[in-house]
Parts: sequence; C-alpha cells; structure tokens
Amino acid sequence: MLEESERAIFEVPIGPQHPALKEPILLLFKIEGDTIVDVMARPAYTHRGVEKATEARNYIQNIYLCERVCGICSCIHTLVYTQGVEKLADVEPPPRAKYIRVIMSELERIHSHTLWLGVAAHELGFDTLFYYVWRDRELVMDLLELISGNRVNYAMSTVGGVRRDISDAVAHQIKKGMEILRKRLDVYTEVVEKEPTLRKRVIDVGKLSPHDAVALCAVGPTLRMTGVKRDVRADDPYQAYDEIPFNVATYDTGDVLAQIIVRVVETYEAANIIDYAIDHMPSGPIKVKVPWNIAPNEIITRGEAPRGELFYYFKSNGTEKPERVKIRTPTLGNIPAVCEMLKGYHIAEIPIVFAGIDPCLSCTARFAFIDERKGKSWVWSGDQLRTYRRKYYKRYGR
Amino acid sequence: MKEALGVIELVIFPGFLFLSWLALYFEWVDRKFYAKLQYRYGPLHTGPKGFLQPFADFVKLLAKEDIVPAAVDRFLFTLTPIMMLALSFYALFYIPIVPIVRDVAFGAFEGDLILVIFVLTIIGFLKFLAGWGSTNRFSAVGAVRTAFQLLGYEIPLAVALLTAAMGAGTLNISLIAQKISTDAILASALLPALAISVICFQAELERIPFDIPEAEQEIVAGWLTEFSGRRLALFRFATDVELTLAAALMAALFLGGPYGPAIPVIPVQVSYFLWFMFKTTVLVLVLANIRTLFARLRIDQMVHFSWRYLIVAAVAEAVFIQALLAMGVIA
Repeated sequence: MLEESERAIFEVPIGPQHPALKEPILLLFKIEGDTIVDVMARPAYTHRGVEKATEARNYIQNIYLCERVCGICSCIHTLVYTQGVEKLADVEPPPRAKYIRVIMSELERIHSHTLWLGVAAHELGFDTLFYYVWRDRELVMDLLELISGNRVNYAMSTVGGVRRDISDAVAHQIKKGMEILRKRLDVYTEVVEKEPTLRKRVIDVGKLSPHDAVALCAVGPTLRMTGVKRDVRADDPYQAYDEIPFNVATYDTGDVLAQIIVRVVETYEAANIIDYAIDHMPSGPIKVKVPWNIAPNEIITRGEAPRGELFYYFKSNGTEKPERVKIRTPTLGNIPAVCEMLKGYHIAEIPIVFAGIDPCLSCTARFAFIDERKGKSWVWSGDQLRTYRRKYYKRYGR
Repeated sequence: MKEALGVIELVIFPGFLFLSWLALYFEWVDRKFYAKLQYRYGPLHTGPKGFLQPFADFVKLLAKEDIVPAAVDRFLFTLTPIMMLALSFYALFYIPIVPIVRDVAFGAFEGDLILVIFVLTIIGFLKFLAGWGSTNRFSAVGAVRTAFQLLGYEIPLAVALLTAAMGAGTLNISLIAQKISTDAILASALLPALAISVICFQAELERIPFDIPEAEQEIVAGWLTEFSGRRLALFRFATDVELTLAAALMAALFLGGPYGPAIPVIPVQVSYFLWFMFKTTVLVLVLANIRTLFARLRIDQMVHFSWRYLIVAAVAEAVFIQALLAMGVIA
C-alpha cells in the first residue's frame, strides 16, 4: 500500500450545487482513479432555526411550524408533534382520530416512496421510469388533496385529534385508488425484477452490512434493507398501529436493489394498512379539548417517517409555550451510513447510492461547532447567537 | 449552368440550408417522440406543435453570455465547437441525401465511406479534447469517459458499416445505396449490421443508455460542463447535425438512402426526397425509442458489453456476408 501522498488521489466536490442534489449538501470525495477512497459530508447549508423558533410560539402555532420542517413528510411531523404534546398534557386522542392519522401517514408514505422510486430512476438515467412513477404518484396526491384540501401541507393533526373527518364517500375513493395503485406497483416490481440495465446498476452497489448499519445508527429503509427488522410502527406502536396487522419489509442483500425492494414492499404494505384502517375505523368524535397551558413535564416521542425514525423531545414549563423542542429527522441518522456505503464504489454510483437513503437535507441541518484540531464541539445558546448577531451587524453594517 | 447548379446544391438544396433545417427537424422529432413515450408533451409553443423550438433554443443560446474560464486552454476551447460542427456538415456531403444534379452525393468518390468513418472518429476525439481543454474536474472525467466509450463503439461501428461495402462490392456510399435499393436479399442480409450500427450510433451520439460521458446526475454535463453561450449553441447544433449524419448514413448503407421504388406520377427527384425523409425519420424514431427503454450503463459495463458482444456480432455478420458472397447468394 502506498502512502497517501504518493497515491494519485484527487478531490471531487459534489455539491452544494449539483444536478444530482435537490437540496444543498457538500460531499467531498477523495478519488483514486475512479474509486472512492473517502467521503466527507457537510450537511448544514440550510439551517432554519426551527427548534429555536418553537420556543417563541405556543403549542398550536408550533403545529404549523413543525409541519414545515419537511416538504415531503409534513404529515408525520405534525403527527409526532401533536402526539408529543398530548403526552405532555396527558390527553388521549379519540380512537377515530388515531385511525385517520394512520391513514394519512400511510398515504404520505406511499407518496414519499413513489417519489423516491422516481428520483432513484432519474439518478440512474432512467427517465422514462421516473415519469411513469411520478404520473402514478398523482393518484395518491389527489387522494391527499381530496381528504385535506392540500397536496403538500395537509394540516390534519391538531393537538387532541384531527381537524377533518374522512367521510364514507372519500373512504370509498381511497379504497378504489389503492386498487389502481397495487396494479401499477405490480408493473414497477416487474421492471425492477427484469430490466437488465437497471439491475446492472443497482445489484451489489452501495453495500452496507447489518453490523455497520446498526453501529452507524442507520434508520428506516436504509436499516431494513440490510435485514435488520426494526420499525417504530412495530417495535413501539403509536396511534392505532397496535391494532392493525402489517409486515415489516426487510431484504437481506443491503445494496441499492434492496433499498428499492424494501420501499416497494413497504408501499404495498401501506396500501394494505390503509384498506384495513378504513374497514375497521371506529365511529365517534375526532377531537378532544386540550388545556392551553401545560404543566412542567419532559417527554420523548417518536414515529416512523417514510425515511425512518422521527424523534421529538419536549420540555414544558407550565406556560402555553414549550421550554424546548428537539427534533431529530431520519436523514441525520443515515448520513454516517451513506458515507460508509459510498466507499469503494465508482464516481458513477455516487448519485444512486446517495439518493438511496432518500436524503431530505433541509430537515436535517443543525447548528453545532466542531473544532477538529482541538477535538472539541459545542453548541451556542440563543443568547450567544443574539450577541454574535449584534456584534456582526455592528461591524459590517446592515 | 453546371456551376450554378453546383453552388445551389452546396448552399441551398441539399446543401447547408436544407441540412440545417433537417438537423433541427430531427431534433424536434427526437424530442417530441421521446416526450410522447414518457407521457409528456415535449416542445409545444414555438411554431406548430413546437416545431420551431430547436431553432428558438439555438438562437437563444447564441444570445447568451459566453463565459471563458481563466484556466481553460483557449485554443481548444474555441476550436472544438467550430470543428465539430464543420466536420459533421463535411461528412454529410458524401452521403446521398437528395441527389438532384448528378445521381450520386455531392462529393461522392470511390472510398468516401472510409473518409466518413474517419470523420466520425475525429468527432468523437474532438469531444475528448473539448472536455480535456476545459480543465474542469467534471469535464476531465467526462472527457476520459468519452475516450473510453470511443474504444468501445468505434470498432464494431466501422466493421458494421464496412460490411455493407463488402456486400455491395464498392466503397462509394452512393453506389452502395443504389445497389441496396435494388437488391432485397442483400438488404435483408444486412439487417443485423443495421442493428449493430444503431447501437453504436447511440453510443456515438451519447444517448441513453450510453450517455455516460455527459451523465447529468454524476458529472453535471461531462465534457460540456464549461461551455456556454455561442460555443454551447454550436455544440448542440453539431450534435443535431451528427444525428442527421447518423440517420442519413445508416439509411444510405442499409436501406438504400434516397433510392427506392419509383412512386407513380411523382418525378424521380421528389421521390428521392420522400424516400430519404421516410427512411431517416424512421431511424430517428428508432434511436429515440431506444432512449426510453434503458437506464444508463456504467462506463466499464459499456466497454465490456461492446467488446464482449458487439464486436463479436459485427465480425460474425461480416463473415456471414462473406459466406453469402462466396456461395453466390448475393452478387
């Protein structure tokens, strides 16, 4: 083995602006020939200060703020947020609301996974599959619009229940939609199983071992594709998931093909869950009242977003505003894993392997200082940030 | 009089003006058909059914700012777009398109097929030089991929094209086309060679599944990354002309080009035009259809595929044609 200085290693920066990336991240690759030797990821280009902003708003206003943490998994964010506030206030939402939340978050999972399948096809240069998948994704988007009136931010969950009911007519439409969806999914399963150029690009690419996946804290489909059966919906059931039977999709090869298969199977499962939930939906109210001020308390809560485990930490202080809200989105957990997955593969595989974890970077950006030389890391408080801002503008003007 | 006709043939029909129109027309056919297959509309607004969109794109790019980065090799950076366009046009004058004055292509001579194959290789090499001269990391990767791809498709392409010459017994493209148009057995025996050259031209034109040198998601625009404004416009136009060249060359060598059964009532020159447009448009549609069917290969997979399968198939086809010649099935 040659010393690093003797080997012909050159750096290729992918991002923060690059056609393969829909959101900014810097992936700095060390490349020898055509092989990736090392990767350095720098995700924090879009820090929006959401966690800080929650401290200035009351619990109701924060629903709408948290909904906008992510553009794709907006439903699961409100679900986990409201679930946390209910836990803080020790309130139980009515059973019908729980079922509606499950239906919404599973519809969202379908739309997110089909979106991902399209993006993955696009990253492989298979644009036809991309357009076909996205056309069929419109089916779910229309259903979501039918239920909530919106395509992106559904505003369904609220503290104590949900804001809109699902009528029998709409439920019938959803079931019809799921039938069509299953037929279309059969077509895509066939494409993935048979199309030779696609298979050539995804088999044995971006491999991750189950041991590494667990050690690097991978979550969601990225963890399940290695064969580790871990899913918040099954392990720590929230809402109505303990009453609904479903299978946790896993696959054992741990390559990009496994990512695709896990997500397609999960989409089938989501359709089944929706059908079951509609058939077994209890009648009754959809909302209960929750007190405005919440007594001092401290809880954590989590849910399974399309990309993996979504984690919320709450601390209340007896007022109508939270003392602290901490959000951990699944992409943050998957970044160390994807850096490991990329090593040893070719430049041509960067887009598909990186897109394989379904990165959602704008939800991920957090603010922390790390000094590599001193080996120190620290976080600024709001006051320190304010002082810095005052000094900065004094010095450089507005 | 003869000189005047020659000038018309060079400049207007089927010279530069007609060829430019043809190149933009093929881009439109390609884009529109590709879009239709993907449940999209494709070009829509400029002209009837977006027919003028390629021309509008060209004009718009000409008007855009032309940035020359400080680190590039200015000579190569200026030379390559011009050379690529010029060479693509140059090769087209050896291919029978609509031979109105004489019955053969404008520049036809014995051996012009060799010249056209040579020009095709030079065009591939120019892409490498353009990327290499850009001194951008993505361009460099794209340029190296272009060179690798050239190693992959060049030999089977040359063998497949020369197979037609073997069958027809001449190296003059126009004479090959005339021979093919009257000899149905030879034309059908050459169909495998047509299939091989369709695949090779897909690689030469850098289209899916062989758009490896300009893979957008991997290396931005590959060897094209640094080009903008006028230079990019010339490159894009050159690619269109190259598409025309590919379609016209394959039509001539394997389908008889403009020559075909006489259509009643219509004068022979008009029938040349109709046959040529029909055959080339069908070939462009086939090329566009291939684009929709596959994912992009990796460069090593592409070279592997062409050395393991394409070259073998091309040589087998040449042997097959030689055997038919020896047995006297084709003369």
